[in-house]
Amino acid sequence: MIKYLLKRLFWMVPLLVGISLVSFLIMHLAPGDITTTEAGFNPKASEESRQKLREIYNLDKPITVQYGLWLKRMATLDFGTSFASHQRPVFWEKTDQQGNVSKGLIQEALPITLLINVLSLTVIIAVALPLGIVSALTQNRPPDRAITLFVFIGFAIPGFWLALVLMYWTGVVNSWLPISGLHSLQYDQMHWLGKIADTLKHLALPVFISSLSGLAGIALFVRNGMLDVLHQDYITTARAKGLPENSVVYRHALRNALLPLITIFGLSIPGLIGGSVIAESIFAIPGMGKLFYDAVLMRDFPVIMGILTIGSALTLLGNLLADLAYAWADPRVRRGVLK
Amino acid sequence: MIRRLFKHPALANPLAMVGFIIIASIMLLALLAPLIAPYDPNAIDVKAILLEPSAAHWMGTDGLGRDVFSRMLYGARISLLVGIVAVGIATGIGIVLGALSGYYRGWMDVVIMRLVDVMLSIPTFFLILAVIAFLTPSIWNIMIVIGLTSWMGVTRLVRAEFLSLREREFVMASQTLGAKDGRLIFLHLLPNSLTPVIVSSVLGVASAVLVESGLSFLGLGVQAPQASWGNILTDGKEYIQFAWWLSLFPGLAILITVLGYNLLGEGLRDALDPRTAGNQAR
Repeated sequence: MIKYLLKRLFWMVPLLVGISLVSFLIMHLAPGDITTTEAGFNPKASEESRQKLREIYNLDKPITVQYGLWLKRMATLDFGTSFASHQRPVFWEKTDQQGNVSKGLIQEALPITLLINVLSLTVIIAVALPLGIVSALTQNRPPDRAITLFVFIGFAIPGFWLALVLMYWTGVVNSWLPISGLHSLQYDQMHWLGKIADTLKHLALPVFISSLSGLAGIALFVRNGMLDVLHQDYITTARAKGLPENSVVYRHALRNALLPLITIFGLSIPGLIGGSVIAESIFAIPGMGKLFYDAVLMRDFPVIMGILTIGSALTLLGNLLADLAYAWADPRVRRGVLK
Repeated sequence: MIRRLFKHPALANPLAMVGFIIIASIMLLALLAPLIAPYDPNAIDVKAILLEPSAAHWMGTDGLGRDVFSRMLYGARISLLVGIVAVGIATGIGIVLGALSGYYRGWMDVVIMRLVDVMLSIPTFFLILAVIAFLTPSIWNIMIVIGLTSWMGVTRLVRAEFLSLREREFVMASQTLGAKDGRLIFLHLLPNSLTPVIVSSVLGVASAVLVESGLSFLGLGVQAPQASWGNILTDGKEYIQFAWWLSLFPGLAILITVLGYNLLGEGLRDALDPRTAGNQAR
């Protein structure tokens, strides 16, 4: 297992180098120099901040040196400070000469986005699994048709539009749920249970929106996986030897149909992280997505580059975890790995 | 290929047909927009601000008194254009890289596949937004950016098809008879690997339409005054308490278009893929 883990970690190195190259390329996409107005850089920005930007990315040095320094920034996770007037560090807290600690922007936003993603994944599993199983067991009959219709609509519905409609309906017309932010104003005076309830209430709509398309995808995936497995010989054997239908479906078929889901979850991580932009900016949740969106609007390049890198690193980590989980869950792979 | 498509049971597949009819009607409306649109989509009318849908304005008017129906028609052009051009770019890159990777194998395959892995590990929406932050948002940039960030799936598909087709007898025979690389690729391998590519391109248009409308909604896509379904919705958000029609129609239009492409794609997959076609008959 350790050897497998090391091998996987080793394979992440070329990927990280690739990610550094792609992000470096993006930085140099802008016509001329990213500090010029053609690049959409705020024309009101002072020469001082332009100079600072040139220093951060060493735009005055040869391109190979620039890339080397960008690699160093990535390796040490030091993405500099934000251009916004608060000038907070992009990634992690820093202490200045006076001993004041300023928290990192990503440090604050990341836990919120991770919480939303974990909740979304939970919702997806809890809803998509039963839907997919029912759909497969009633293939081409009314329940399957209804679920398939739901799946197609779930794929096609624009999340930001549904967010608007729900915001209007549950927030403005009926005021059942809060429509923006992460906490109520009285949050600090609440009992800890109240705090949890308050946060969950604020997150209900964003989590629903960000889990919807994944939910449709996973339901369809479970359905097709179940159908594939149910038509295999060993299932016929299980039925032929007189096992109860429940045992055939849940012990024999479902377990095998679920295995590829682990990989799918690993692959869905970049979508979930990237998708947080829309849900978070509509509901004003101060997570990675909103941080990123605001940074794009303000052309706050250090924050953009920082989030791009951290987001990719998280994706790699997610894929690694998915592969390890797969190796752990599938005895065939496990034996191969342990050998 | 085209002839095979016309003869194919795809025509008898109800999903594909419904999808096809939806997409064809929207394309027709978009093409004929200048003839159908009752008003100039950008004409501001201060005497007709935020009017409810009526006989004069089928879908009402927006905060500047512009006719929403006319803007929707012109918005359809943007959605379809962005979707198709972006997917065209992605499919082009995917076919070239996938073919190189699957045909030549060796180091070329390793490099291209690692590049695919790298691109897949950067959250797509972040990547698109980051590129747009460094460029200026315009309809052309959006198409190029969506295209350049969504070619990975096609590359993998074409590569897999090439790898398996290369081992087939008719390809080997042709190679033994001395066919050059170009002949093998363009005459034998490529035409036979297009089916999954067509399916994935149709599905790709659906997601490109969603991405474009999302970007325009966030103010980072098609810029005002040019109408797009996404930026009509941005206005809708602003006036959501007084003008439901500004939010309802563009949202429905996106939903129906994306649904149409998905139905067409899934229907084609069922009809063209012998494995799932068998599944249906079961």
